[in-house]
Amino acid sequence: MTTTPDRSVVPDTMPAPRVETPNHVEAVTGDAPVVPGGTGRTRRGPGALAIGFLRQYSLLVLLLLSLLAYGTWSRTADVFNQAANFQNIAGSQSVLAVLTLGLLIPMISGNLDLSIGSTAGLSSIAAAGAYADAGVPLIVGVLFGVAIGALVGLVNGLVVTRFGIDSFIVTLGTASLILGAVNWYSKGNSIIQGIPQEVISFGGGLTFGIPNLVYVLVAAALVVYYLLEQTPYGRNLHAIGSNKAASRLVGIRVERDTCLAFVLSGTFAGVAGVMLLARSGAGNPQVGSGFTLTAIAAAFLGAASFKLGKLNVPGTLVAIFFLAVNITGLQFAGVANWISDVFTGLSLVLAVAFAGILSRPKKAPRPKADKTASSGEPARA
Amino acid sequence: MTSALPAPVLRVSQLSKAYNGILALDGVDLDVRPGEVHALLGGNGSGKSTLIKVLAGVVDAEPGAVLELGDSSQDLHGWTSDKAYAAGLRFVHQQPAVFSDLSIAENIAFGTTFPKNRAGKIDWKALNARTADLLELFGVHAAPTTPLGALRAADRTRIAIIRAVQDRDDATSGVLVLDEPTAALPAEEVEHLLGSLRRYAAAGQTILYVSHRLDEVLSVADRVTVLRDGKKVATVEAAGLTENDLIELIVGRPLDRIFPEQVEAPASDVVLSARGLRGGPLADVSFDLHQGEVLGVAGLLGAGRSELLRMIFGAYPVEAGTITLGGRAVRFATPSAAMAAGVAYVPEERQLDALFQGNSVRHNVSAGSAGAYFSKLVFRHRDEQRDTADAVRQFLIRVGRDTQPVETLSGGNAQKVVLARWLRRKPAVLLLDEPTQGVDIGARAEIYTLIREATRNGTSVLLVASDPEELAHACDRVLVLRGGRIAADVRTPLEAHRLTELINAAPAAKETV
Repeated sequence: MTTTPDRSVVPDTMPAPRVETPNHVEAVTGDAPVVPGGTGRTRRGPGALAIGFLRQYSLLVLLLLSLLAYGTWSRTADVFNQAANFQNIAGSQSVLAVLTLGLLIPMISGNLDLSIGSTAGLSSIAAAGAYADAGVPLIVGVLFGVAIGALVGLVNGLVVTRFGIDSFIVTLGTASLILGAVNWYSKGNSIIQGIPQEVISFGGGLTFGIPNLVYVLVAAALVVYYLLEQTPYGRNLHAIGSNKAASRLVGIRVERDTCLAFVLSGTFAGVAGVMLLARSGAGNPQVGSGFTLTAIAAAFLGAASFKLGKLNVPGTLVAIFFLAVNITGLQFAGVANWISDVFTGLSLVLAVAFAGILSRPKKAPRPKADKTASSGEPARA
Repeated sequence: MTSALPAPVLRVSQLSKAYNGILALDGVDLDVRPGEVHALLGGNGSGKSTLIKVLAGVVDAEPGAVLELGDSSQDLHGWTSDKAYAAGLRFVHQQPAVFSDLSIAENIAFGTTFPKNRAGKIDWKALNARTADLLELFGVHAAPTTPLGALRAADRTRIAIIRAVQDRDDATSGVLVLDEPTAALPAEEVEHLLGSLRRYAAAGQTILYVSHRLDEVLSVADRVTVLRDGKKVATVEAAGLTENDLIELIVGRPLDRIFPEQVEAPASDVVLSARGLRGGPLADVSFDLHQGEVLGVAGLLGAGRSELLRMIFGAYPVEAGTITLGGRAVRFATPSAAMAAGVAYVPEERQLDALFQGNSVRHNVSAGSAGAYFSKLVFRHRDEQRDTADAVRQFLIRVGRDTQPVETLSGGNAQKVVLARWLRRKPAVLLLDEPTQGVDIGARAEIYTLIREATRNGTSVLLVASDPEELAHACDRVLVLRGGRIAADVRTPLEAHRLTELINAAPAAKETV
């Protein structure tokens, strides 16, 4: 720093210098993180710790505050505080949550899977059809539904990696394709006959007061967390999502790993499809595709908490339940139905923007004090 | 400066620029006279490109730098690209942003605007007519509707120049800045381009010309300014200079202290050998790499240095030839196969090909080796953390916590992360491509010390570098790649002068060293 030239000659009328980041020589050129900012700062103090905590867990705090608010608000408290309400929220969100967790896998590798919702719908119809038309045993129907999902994922993965087509386009295509196939097969009608009673009672039932589907969700969450954070495969997916070229040059088999990510997201969509069938007791060709955008929104919203700027399992779960609790609460309060869409949209944009602001370096844009502007702080090196 | 000389059309004084406290430019003065071709020379890291970037308004100068353009005087601190454009400065960069699928006319129109008819539709007739006039003026023989990709390389660069200067009716005002316009051109195309530059200069255009190729500079430039380590060494008249004079100015004082002592020329076993390697720009390359040796690979941009390393690493197709590693013939289909055989590769483009932005230092260090920490279905995070701490210590990486994202590190430290990733695998062969690019001088010394240490532990190194100085100091032996072949095998004494001569020699010449 002692080598910088004398700054005393700067005239007062100077235009404001452009703000430069401390490490602008090596300015980041790679893919931007999902949420601006990230986990950069290292300096710590009691205040900084509190800010850091708030930054990381703001959505969790908001979820708890929401629960408290609806639980005490006179317009909602009566219905909201009932066990049945919580059981209902947890049960109904399990399907979406499993779908979203599966989606995280390709998303972390920098790919999008827009077909998950349709795939879940397909799996649900396929399992229902297998029971109704072929009369297959209980377990075969379940496995068939899941396998159909995996198959769709395999097709997605192969097309993306073999032909090098953007996953956005490929999965947009398969999503539409599946939707058409489902409507052709079901002729637009729900399959309500012939679903084994065990499936239906599992989907609607409770164990120790907790909906059965929540156990499936917990298992799925543990599997996805383990896969993404505790295995070399997950490490490779993070690397591919950050820099595909560099991944190849450290020996990661980018195509194989990416393809597998789609197989996994398809498999989880298959699981979600069977859960859907179990919960509703019918194979409905109309549901499924509607889940896709909500799942993507929840995944991004989840990236605004826990591991800031990164898609992560706990953040995703909190995001899903934050949205569900508020939408249910608002419905109990008697607001119109369209409010729920508005709420989801606003939360997503605000939370991501908020996380970005909070994780921005504090010293940033004060161009007046020229001393800090262009020389910056010494590299943290 | 006597009054007999014409007043400079562009004068820069006291230009400094610091990156992270390290001066890339240190009080540089530059004056360019109207109608001259003024060459700007200097080695890597001499500050040439920073100077151009400051003039272009892309990089902000430190306060105190003054730019005089004709009669007006401006402060370069706060200079912007808009102001540079308004002041008549035009830039053609090394890899000009041209669109090869679009027509010549469209490419040129992007520099200004598309002419439109009254309905707002592009008036193609007017555009093509205007383009045809420009093409004739600049001596490019092609139709305006020809796709740019169909042109020869020199013509593509000419189109970029036309685009830059088209809206100035008066060729005698302003300055045209060309940043290594011939770097990407094959040798036979260079003369075509230089010819039109000479004609253009004769018409009164002032040209600031940045280049590495000394013969070119001597053939077109009126005067030469040489930069070294961010300082101006001299501005001299080009007439009467020889390439050796220029090399003298560019290289200057020796930098012995930067580099570790060279070890005695190793007479040990051959670890890696290539015979008749062909592919991409390489026509026929053969060499032997000995145990514990640092073998340099020199050559101009486009000589195929990086391709050679990538071929060995299984990341570039080999058309013919054999590679032998440790006595066995190998041809790796993928980098992972090369890695399994003990080959490591540090690519030239750190940001694009080596670093995982947004991922932690720890994950960057163990990228590609994460499997080593996974056993019995458990990821041993603590082992990984311990190994990373060891690597941080051993490879002198300055970092707070290893969970810090890698993009918060300086260039030198990021490069040490990449080196640590590979060196801790104890590779048999380490392929290094410009390992000190964008690295400050202190870290550069440390990096070369680390490389030497690795060779003492049995690693053999193939080192690509553009700076002859660096090659001369860091290597035991240097291969000069030219025209797709090994044109020279330079043993001791390695001298930057000699390397510079060999690298820049005409492609046809054969050297026996």
